[in-house]
Amino acid sequence: MKQTDIARRPDRVASYFRMEWATLLAVTLSGVFYNTGLLAGPWFEGRLTQCLLDIFGGEKDFPDMLRLAGAYVAVIAAVQIARYIKRLYVRRFANHINRDMKRVLYGNLIHRNRADLEGENIGSIMTKAISDVDACAEGMRKFTTEVFDTGVALAGYAALLFWYDWRLALLSLLFPPCSYFIAEKMKAVVQRSGTAAQESRGRLSAATLDRVSSASTYRVFGCESQRDRAYEKQLEDYEKAAVRANIWVAAMPPLYQAISMISTLFIFYFGGRNVTGGGWANWDIAVFATFLSCFTKLSVKSAKAAKLFNAVQKAEISWKRIKPLMRPVPMETAAEPAPAGKLEVENLSAAYSGGTPIFRGLSFKAEPGQIIGVTGPVACGKSTLGKAILCEIPYEGSIRFGGKELSDLPSERRWDIVGYLGHDPELMSDTIRNNILLDDERSPEPLLEAVCLGREIAEMPDGIHTRIGTGGVRLSGGQQARLALARTLGHPRPLLILDDPFSALDQRTEREVFERLRILTQDSVVLLFSHRLYLFPELDQVIWMEDGQTLVGTHKELMRVSGQYAALYDLQKGGGDHEAEA
Amino acid sequence: MKQRHERGLAGVLRTVIGRSKLLTAAIVMAVVGAVVTALLPPLVLERAVNLLTAGNNIPFALALLYVALTFLTGLLDATRESLLIVFGQKITHGLRSALCSKLSRLPSDAFVKQDPGAAVSRFVGDVDTVEALFTSGIISMVADGGKVISILAILFVKNRGLALVLLVLTPLLFLFTRQVQKRMLAAQLANRVAVERATNHVPETIRCIRTIHALHKEQYMCKAYERHIQDSYDAVEKANFYDAVYSPVILIASALTVAAVMLLSAAGIPAVQSFFGMSVGTAAAVIVYIGSVFAPLESVGMEIQTIQSAVAGVRRIDEFLAADERWETDASITLDSLLREDVPCVELRDVTFGYDEGAPVLRDLSFVVRDGEQATLTGRTGAGKSTVFKLLLGQYNPAHGQVLIYGREASQLPDTVKRRLFGYVEQSFRLVPGTVLDQITLFDESISRAAAERAAVTVGLHEAISALEQGYDTPCGPSLFSQGQWQLLSIARAIAAEPKLLLLDEMTANLDADTEQTVLTALKNAAEHRTVLSISHRLYQQTGGRQISI
Repeated sequence: MKQTDIARRPDRVASYFRMEWATLLAVTLSGVFYNTGLLAGPWFEGRLTQCLLDIFGGEKDFPDMLRLAGAYVAVIAAVQIARYIKRLYVRRFANHINRDMKRVLYGNLIHRNRADLEGENIGSIMTKAISDVDACAEGMRKFTTEVFDTGVALAGYAALLFWYDWRLALLSLLFPPCSYFIAEKMKAVVQRSGTAAQESRGRLSAATLDRVSSASTYRVFGCESQRDRAYEKQLEDYEKAAVRANIWVAAMPPLYQAISMISTLFIFYFGGRNVTGGGWANWDIAVFATFLSCFTKLSVKSAKAAKLFNAVQKAEISWKRIKPLMRPVPMETAAEPAPAGKLEVENLSAAYSGGTPIFRGLSFKAEPGQIIGVTGPVACGKSTLGKAILCEIPYEGSIRFGGKELSDLPSERRWDIVGYLGHDPELMSDTIRNNILLDDERSPEPLLEAVCLGREIAEMPDGIHTRIGTGGVRLSGGQQARLALARTLGHPRPLLILDDPFSALDQRTEREVFERLRILTQDSVVLLFSHRLYLFPELDQVIWMEDGQTLVGTHKELMRVSGQYAALYDLQKGGGDHEAEA
Repeated sequence: MKQRHERGLAGVLRTVIGRSKLLTAAIVMAVVGAVVTALLPPLVLERAVNLLTAGNNIPFALALLYVALTFLTGLLDATRESLLIVFGQKITHGLRSALCSKLSRLPSDAFVKQDPGAAVSRFVGDVDTVEALFTSGIISMVADGGKVISILAILFVKNRGLALVLLVLTPLLFLFTRQVQKRMLAAQLANRVAVERATNHVPETIRCIRTIHALHKEQYMCKAYERHIQDSYDAVEKANFYDAVYSPVILIASALTVAAVMLLSAAGIPAVQSFFGMSVGTAAAVIVYIGSVFAPLESVGMEIQTIQSAVAGVRRIDEFLAADERWETDASITLDSLLREDVPCVELRDVTFGYDEGAPVLRDLSFVVRDGEQATLTGRTGAGKSTVFKLLLGQYNPAHGQVLIYGREASQLPDTVKRRLFGYVEQSFRLVPGTVLDQITLFDESISRAAAERAAVTVGLHEAISALEQGYDTPCGPSLFSQGQWQLLSIARAIAAEPKLLLLDEMTANLDADTEQTVLTALKNAAEHRTVLSISHRLYQQTGGRQISI
């Protein structure tokens, strides 16, 4: 599939039109043919009436009518076939655009980093991604359709009117522009109420997402009825906004048409004189009928033109909202795990944008195969250290891996070095197998064994093909954590950040998992962030963080040097192994 | 209350019509008025043409009448459109309300089994399809269908031959329409399923973005999304075919009818001619009439896709509304009637329970926790500790045995007593849209600001919240607090209503030792008049917690 234009400038509507030139060519050809052919209808109908009159008058006979009627049906059929082609291709065009835009949007979304995404509200991203693209593609479709259906057809009808009697045509065409004029005046109102409705809709979407995804919490706390009432308020707000936005679009076209139709006054009066003699032109009944029917069709079209205009405006609103999201999608390169190496951290400090550093002066070194524990009280900067290594926040000092400064690397290369597993297991609504391997081809069983999950999974009805629900809801907290760890181990990296992933495990399971982790990560440097310390004596180094200060050493050294560390360790050790009894 | 049990679109329609009788009456009048006035202009035209044929001029008054009638039709159409928009919004509002209230009546199990994205797409997307019926003027087209019937009636009087031709055609057209509709419906349903999957994929991507980047699985995720939108593309493509083919077929049929009538009139057979009763004026009017019979069909054809998606949408909404509901709770239970001294706070008697049949998580479990006691559930991960909590909270019914809270079946307790009975600290904090205060009260108006602040003081979060620029009224976002502080907030939320029983679900797991100490101190203060049941609470046994092994 060729995607050059869209890939380069996905934020330009023209790119999409250019991409679809073949489809649009088919639309153009069939569209021009169809709309020109539309004139054949009224023309033939006038002829048919006249022919019938002539037959009654004895001037023509049945074969004439047969020929005329035959030609009429043949022409209408040809015109309608052209219409079929036009309609199919216009829709295909919209379908293509819909798909391409969603593809670009998703491609953009997936390359956004976490901080960006947290800043925006998920509900509105969803509305943007789905409804806006739909509305936008629909608007582009209507625009394309109407360019032919309205533009070309209007011109055709007008030409025919002028051909029959230019003076009467001029007179008749006095009123249709009035409806355009009014539509133009209405533009501001339509746009304003349209934007208001879209905004209300965004709020409703967010409220819906909250009501549904937090349903369980609301139930446990017995506040479902309060939430229902709040949702009801949101619904009322949307109802009002939507009525205001839609009423203009729906109510005006019949009025526009009525205004245009005032001109029939002239057609009856002067057209009638054309037939009876003494008018501006010399008409028969057929011409009168054709002229009137042509004009009626023209007024219908003009009324719809105003509607089209509004539809395009709606599409514009949607397009304006997605346009900033439509950036060129970066090209992918496959993951290439970096070779094992040394981690060297020197005089590291990190701060959230502009604030004071959360910690400073951290220096340590680690060799492949080493596991380093990081701990400290809440808000001690543990997660900040993790974020600094992931380069999610800027740092000062240096973090080098295999001699390379992490902040100098492009994010893709950085992820070749750093593996991460956080407190949130980030599981997908898919099978166990796909959650571990994603699209890798290998056997997941050894990984499940490594995290002591093999037996539990084997006991499930569908085994590794069990679907685990959104975020893994069908698994227990401990199972989720271990599944996520299996996934991390299945995609080994030479530097592994484990940010408190074992908190949901009981001590015995944690110990078993830890022992296998040791074996499996012999080529990696592992940083284990935890507040449970009983494994720390077995770690190669420990980093203690408190009040912006950091202490690095072995467990024994820290027990000696840091009173708080020792106190915390002793307190937890006293807690014993009660969970191992089951 | 009766309306609550009416299901689906039909129920909502009845409710809305019942509530807005005036609006409904006005719509009916506007529809009928528009149908009647629309019939009149062709009659005027017929008279005008006949006058012309006879060599007379059209009087100005007749021309004015034509314009006036057209204008009247336009006005009535506009009125009808506006009223229908109002009506349509009432219907969509009603549908969403019905869906929302259904959500409150679903069993807790449904929340686990159903993807939130799927439910959201019902609330948003499926209801939208119904809304589109009104905004795209389809309901008006159906109303226009009324015109067809009245035109047929006029024709029956004026031109019986044509009326008969049309009567023969009608079943054929009907059959054709049905076929197109059916196939399109199938395509639309396939599309909605694909759209739902694609919709779900987006929030999931956002949630898992760090993992996706870390594992370089951008392509994998894109491919999955691509699959969903391609499925949707294919289904739409199929629907497009039927959509495109319908109107041309109808219009060709219309042309054939006109030709046939003309030929029959011109055949020169007196019997046939008188049967079709053709003057030239009638011929002009007949073409208009045939046009008006086929036009509504044609316009319905133009929007057949919208209609079909609405049918598919309604089907799925009805399905959701017809889902099994949770059991009725005993509304007569109040907090005061519940709290009796002589029964234990929590009692499980021989409880056996499993989420799936044949795979019990708990077997014959019995234990008692008395008022004011503090206890810890122990057992390996997956042993069913959280499951016990779910049973206590009345989310599930045990397969065998009894789960009793102050001697009453836990599943019978009404929502109204829950907040003051249970303080449940969830495994992870669930952020709701609103201020910090809203996080604590969970929008419960009966929890005063002072009570919420008291709860925050208890968990040691008051200073941190007060330090925020807008204090308790700060809008809450995921980056406002640290992981540990969210946990504290979770506890504040649980104790804000001064509950009798505190359920701590793997709480300490997410807190470091220091905060744990803060919380423990606070818990001890509250423990004098509160029962505490916790999971994996390592430190609790030292502070007097009794262990219950499961």
